[in-house]
Amino acid sequence: MAIMTLEGVSKSFGGLQVLAGISFSIESGRKLAIIGPNGAGKTTLFNVLGGQLPASGGRIRFMDQDITHLSPSRRLHLGLARSFQINSLFPGLTLLDNMLLALHGARYPHFRFFRSMKSRGDLYSGAEQIMRSLALLEMSDSPVSSLSYGDQRLLEVALGLASEPRLLILDEPTAGLSTAEAVNFEKTIRQLLGDATLLFCAHDMDLVFNLAERILVLYYGKLIAEGRPEEIRANSRVKEIYLGGRGV
Amino acid sequence: MLTKVVIFAIFAISLDLILGYTGLLSLGHAAFFGVAGYVSGIFMVHLNVKSVWLVVPLSVLAAGIAAVVIGYLALRVSGVYFLLITLAFGQMLSIIAIRWRKITGGTNGLIDISCPDLGLPGFTWTSLSFYYFVFLCFVICFFLLYRIVNSPFGRALVGIRENEPRMQSLGIDTWAHKYVAFIIAGLFAGVSGALFASFYGIMVPEHLGIMTSATAMLMVVIGGPGTLFGPVIGSLIIIMLEHYAGIYDPKRWPLFLGCMFVICAIFLHGGLGMYLTKLWRKRRSCIWL
Repeated sequence: MAIMTLEGVSKSFGGLQVLAGISFSIESGRKLAIIGPNGAGKTTLFNVLGGQLPASGGRIRFMDQDITHLSPSRRLHLGLARSFQINSLFPGLTLLDNMLLALHGARYPHFRFFRSMKSRGDLYSGAEQIMRSLALLEMSDSPVSSLSYGDQRLLEVALGLASEPRLLILDEPTAGLSTAEAVNFEKTIRQLLGDATLLFCAHDMDLVFNLAERILVLYYGKLIAEGRPEEIRANSRVKEIYLGGRGV
Repeated sequence: MLTKVVIFAIFAISLDLILGYTGLLSLGHAAFFGVAGYVSGIFMVHLNVKSVWLVVPLSVLAAGIAAVVIGYLALRVSGVYFLLITLAFGQMLSIIAIRWRKITGGTNGLIDISCPDLGLPGFTWTSLSFYYFVFLCFVICFFLLYRIVNSPFGRALVGIRENEPRMQSLGIDTWAHKYVAFIIAGLFAGVSGALFASFYGIMVPEHLGIMTSATAMLMVVIGGPGTLFGPVIGSLIIIMLEHYAGIYDPKRWPLFLGCMFVICAIFLHGGLGMYLTKLWRKRRSCIWL
């Protein structure tokens, strides 16, 4: 079953068209990667999907509902969560507070004025569980700004996962990590993700070809190829414009 | 003087909810203080309604309504534009207070505001009993705000301060949170305004304008934004300085206040509250060790 379907989604900034009629769908439980050279429109596409930018045209359907004009918070409550290419954390707060905010946002969106945060045991146990799976439990009271960059990248993904989304969108999850760090990162991410439906983009081709079941290729705002990893690897157009004809 | 300190402490902690916790820079917070003060004055002077149980809730409600309207418009924008809109509303209200002479007394102010009637037989206000009354109000406000900032709602406000776009993508309707925080802050500022009108006996247009807003902001900045006791310390320092500067050279007080602003902005990031919190943590960890 398709969990999300895009029908001719486009996005322009003034006269500059960044996305031109993007259409594809994601099946439930699958892992889909989007690749493309810098400036292809990957992050813009993710911002349109996450609700950070309004689409200029087309429709986005998620779980049989038109979400094209919904706010990011409404999209999250339908089960669509995302992470950001550039860390978007709460650097002044502790790791525990970061996790609590993510869990609170997902579980209790309504106003609660007079109940203490501490009375919400389920938030604390949830946060502890996630921090344990990230092997960061002993850091829970440290400010996030004191974590290593790699751990901050993990937290970036973990904040998205906290809501147990139906679909998780990861924008360049390994951006800025060294090759060794990226290998570890991939292992941890695989464990965390389990069977979740995933849409991600990355420049790290190892990650893309290891993790993705299907790959879309975006080039100057247009989808130019779609297929299984081996099909994309063999696609001559992709080789030519994206991989510089070298193959992968 | 202590009564004034406590009244301004309520005002400053109400501002801290939006300034320190939510990160909204408002230069129009005196609007709610002044509206509540004027409304309670109008009730007592023009309408002859004296019961504290009517006057205070109605003036707080008036401040709340002002916050509903101003917040709805000002929160359409953010950052410096938000600051300018809140400032403009404060100044507009103070112009209304100057122009609407029949009701507000114009630049001379609304005078002869008395202490509201508690409704207890044989009870008359003394300055000490009024102080205790104000202090009781302060304790209630402090307790309520303490509960609010430590609730999930209050933590979400801190999240909005730190990273609003991320809070949105974590499922929080940040606009609604900011709006509700703005209204709550307006209500508490209303409490302080209503008390102030009774304490001072007079409301003048400046009580709605930028000077009063800036004084409250300075109290928060000196004391420590994002802590509830910080603005209380800030209020104590400013009111005491104002008092002694008033004895020494009343005309130069604004100049002195301006210098304080500059010094705080340069040297006192995080406010005194932050230093006190650190000191307190150090002491506590020593005890535990």
